[in-house]
Amino acid sequence: MDSIVRPKRTFRLSRLIRPAIGVLFLAFLGWRLYTVLVVQQLYGPDTWLRFAISGVILGAVYAVIALGYTLVYGVLFMINFAHGDVMMLGAFAGYFTLEAFNGTGLLNRSVGWSIFCVLIAFIIGMLVGMGVAVALERIAYRPLRKAPRLVPLISAIGASLFLENAAQLMFGTTRRKYANPDIIAHNTTGWNIVVGGQDVLITYTGVLTFVLSVLLMIGLLILVKRTKMGKSMRAVAEDKEVAALMGINVDRVISNTFAISGVLAGAAGVMWGLHLAIVYHYVGFIPGMKAFTAAVMGGIGNIPGAMLGGLALGVMESVAPAALGMPFQLKDVLAFFILILVLIFRPTGLLGEVLSEKKM
Amino acid sequence: MSGMRSSFRSGLIVGIVNTFIVLLGITNLVGTIVAEWFSISSKLLGAWILLLAVALWGGARAVRSTQASTWKDTSVAGLLAGVSHGVILAVLVGLLASLVDAGVTVREVLVQISPDALELLTFGLPPVVAALVVLAIITVGGVSGALLAYASARYQWQESLAAVWKNAQEKVIALSFVQGVQQFAYTRLIVYAVGLAILLVFPFFAGQYWNYTLGTVGLYVVLGLGLNIVVGMAGLLHLGYAAFFAIGGYTVAILTAPQFGIEWSFWVALPIGIVLAALTGVLLSLPVLRMRGDYLAIVTLGFGEIIRILAKSDALTNFTGGPRGVRDVAGPSLFGIDVSSEFHFIYVIILGIVLAAVITSRLQNSRLGRAFMAMREDEDVAQTMGVYTLKYKVLAFAIGAAFAGLGGVIFASRNQFTGPEDYTLLVSVNVLSLVIIGGMNSIPGVILGALVLKGLPEMLRELDDYRMLAFGALLIVMMILRPEGLWPSKRRAMELREATDQEASSL
Repeated sequence: MDSIVRPKRTFRLSRLIRPAIGVLFLAFLGWRLYTVLVVQQLYGPDTWLRFAISGVILGAVYAVIALGYTLVYGVLFMINFAHGDVMMLGAFAGYFTLEAFNGTGLLNRSVGWSIFCVLIAFIIGMLVGMGVAVALERIAYRPLRKAPRLVPLISAIGASLFLENAAQLMFGTTRRKYANPDIIAHNTTGWNIVVGGQDVLITYTGVLTFVLSVLLMIGLLILVKRTKMGKSMRAVAEDKEVAALMGINVDRVISNTFAISGVLAGAAGVMWGLHLAIVYHYVGFIPGMKAFTAAVMGGIGNIPGAMLGGLALGVMESVAPAALGMPFQLKDVLAFFILILVLIFRPTGLLGEVLSEKKM
Repeated sequence: MSGMRSSFRSGLIVGIVNTFIVLLGITNLVGTIVAEWFSISSKLLGAWILLLAVALWGGARAVRSTQASTWKDTSVAGLLAGVSHGVILAVLVGLLASLVDAGVTVREVLVQISPDALELLTFGLPPVVAALVVLAIITVGGVSGALLAYASARYQWQESLAAVWKNAQEKVIALSFVQGVQQFAYTRLIVYAVGLAILLVFPFFAGQYWNYTLGTVGLYVVLGLGLNIVVGMAGLLHLGYAAFFAIGGYTVAILTAPQFGIEWSFWVALPIGIVLAALTGVLLSLPVLRMRGDYLAIVTLGFGEIIRILAKSDALTNFTGGPRGVRDVAGPSLFGIDVSSEFHFIYVIILGIVLAAVITSRLQNSRLGRAFMAMREDEDVAQTMGVYTLKYKVLAFAIGAAFAGLGGVIFASRNQFTGPEDYTLLVSVNVLSLVIIGGMNSIPGVILGALVLKGLPEMLRELDDYRMLAFGALLIVMMILRPEGLWPSKRRAMELREATDQEASSL
């Protein structure tokens, strides 16, 4: 296929579209920023800082989910549509663990017990995420590896539907409140800093989320760059058939990739629960979409890119509605809008390599 | 010893399957349905038939994976699979029952485990006894499954059944009458005409409920035929179809509802809605022209969500009524007579279906349709052959969107209401599922898909909660077993088969 010489493109229509959209967009952006920042001056520095902090923390969660998308995409060139739902199941697993500890009274017995309980919640969340992701690959994706590209994508959509509705049927539609231990109760415990005469709270859950996500990314980088497993993953990403000829068990490597992405999704789910305190069957959908946006923004298939994209998206999402003076209801629109813009202007993302169109 | 391991594995897998069947409340559901159909009072029968069926499957799987070749090996494999499966289920049942006995409200965590549903599994016995009973039943199931599978393989039951079926088929085809019908040139037309006639007469005898159900199915046929052009013909996976549906719906709402003061007639709003939806389709297609497959799916999904969130937000309340939606959308009237009852709407919808079906079937053999299909198969090759893919992508989006607009206008007008919750992602997924499950690029396939996915759940009301779960599972199963759909177009089936054969032989 690659040997076909592409005809030189001389389509005028499509050449005009991109600059036109770009100019319009920049003009709009400038106008809104000018109105809000110079004319209206609604918010003080403390509010901006609050937005930025919440953005960074949210972005850290997006980044961890985005890592899972990127890994799977890097190896299989397919979007794991159900990734957000794996995260949701991880969040549920963490929730039930914490509830069980809470019910037996161990959760708040002492600081040590609290840390232990949160740790166990993370481990169980990760294990559940891993199990679900591996099962997903085995059942829904592996039989379709040689099918045309649309086929596994449809199967992934089906898997996403299935997981969401299974969670709804099993656990009900109530929105459950995460039982954080008292030492990291959400929205009340944290460090206070004073900016412009106003208190700004940096919550412990937020710090925990951020630090953990950075650790997970470093761990993943080491795993991919330094270990034998990572090496075989990179080989499979490069060329499955040649990798198989070199004695790599391709099926197992792909299974491992899904396991790692599931671990990351499970961890992200527990972080989400601890930080935002709410878990229900639909909790994975929107973060999943946003994390996908983040992965594309950073350059899909690229690990530091996913991290960068996640943080950028988180900050943009929480700062932009205020900065552009648009209603906060439209926050979710923004992420999709950014996704479309990135795909129009820089489909390879911020740090992405130039992929051939076949891979895109 | 690897035989033992794979027997355990089979037991483990089916054990997990049955655990989820219990946790998802499917035992209770099947029990209820079976009890209703056979008008028996107990739900036990249905529930245990289901659990036992899975146990049988586990035994059969164990035999296949161990390749047992004697009766003794077979029974051992079945026993191992049955026992491991039984232990899992017994632990589950024992645990749940003792938790309930200890006064824990299990329902707060696992919604489906009502006392009623649990009694199906425990037979009202104390936890330990119940667990042992479950273990015994499942073990028997596993062993019998293994023996049945072995017997079937040994005496070639499957082959002889297939031979009987094929024989019967050939005999029917050999009848001169059938051959005559097959060769008669107008058979197809006559079948269509008879079908249409039945459809036209049916609403007179059906009650309001049936007319409503049939109308819903019909509406989804229109939507499915439209999406079929985008997904089935042109191969562009589109997940934001509900957005165009919404544009049709909101157009008719704004133009006819009294609260906006325009109050035009339905018949004027109809073409405007279609044109607006098509224009939006063109607008959406421009930025996504160069994207393929996965990216296109996500961007269109994002687009659908953007439209829905915008419709729901305060920003456009003056036009969309925000989350409350628009009430009193006008129905159509003919010569001054109001024709907006369910009964009349059936005919409007049938008109829409006929229009969509005719356009689709004309497209299939036209230059335009062939260009779409070439693009679906291989964009690069299509371009090399002189197909201007960018233009055809825009056209595909526009035509598909126009059908969605038509559906939206009819939908909003029929409900006399439109609101953001009518246009969720689920609508897009529903339409996509029915196109894929029915058969891509096949008109009877889309109709069949709509009947199965929208009509069947209407008839089986108990299934309603499980509908989306079943769709998800169906999408996966169909992709694995029959990616061409239930009633595929001949060409599409050939293409998919060919692709897999080639891939397989190239490795």
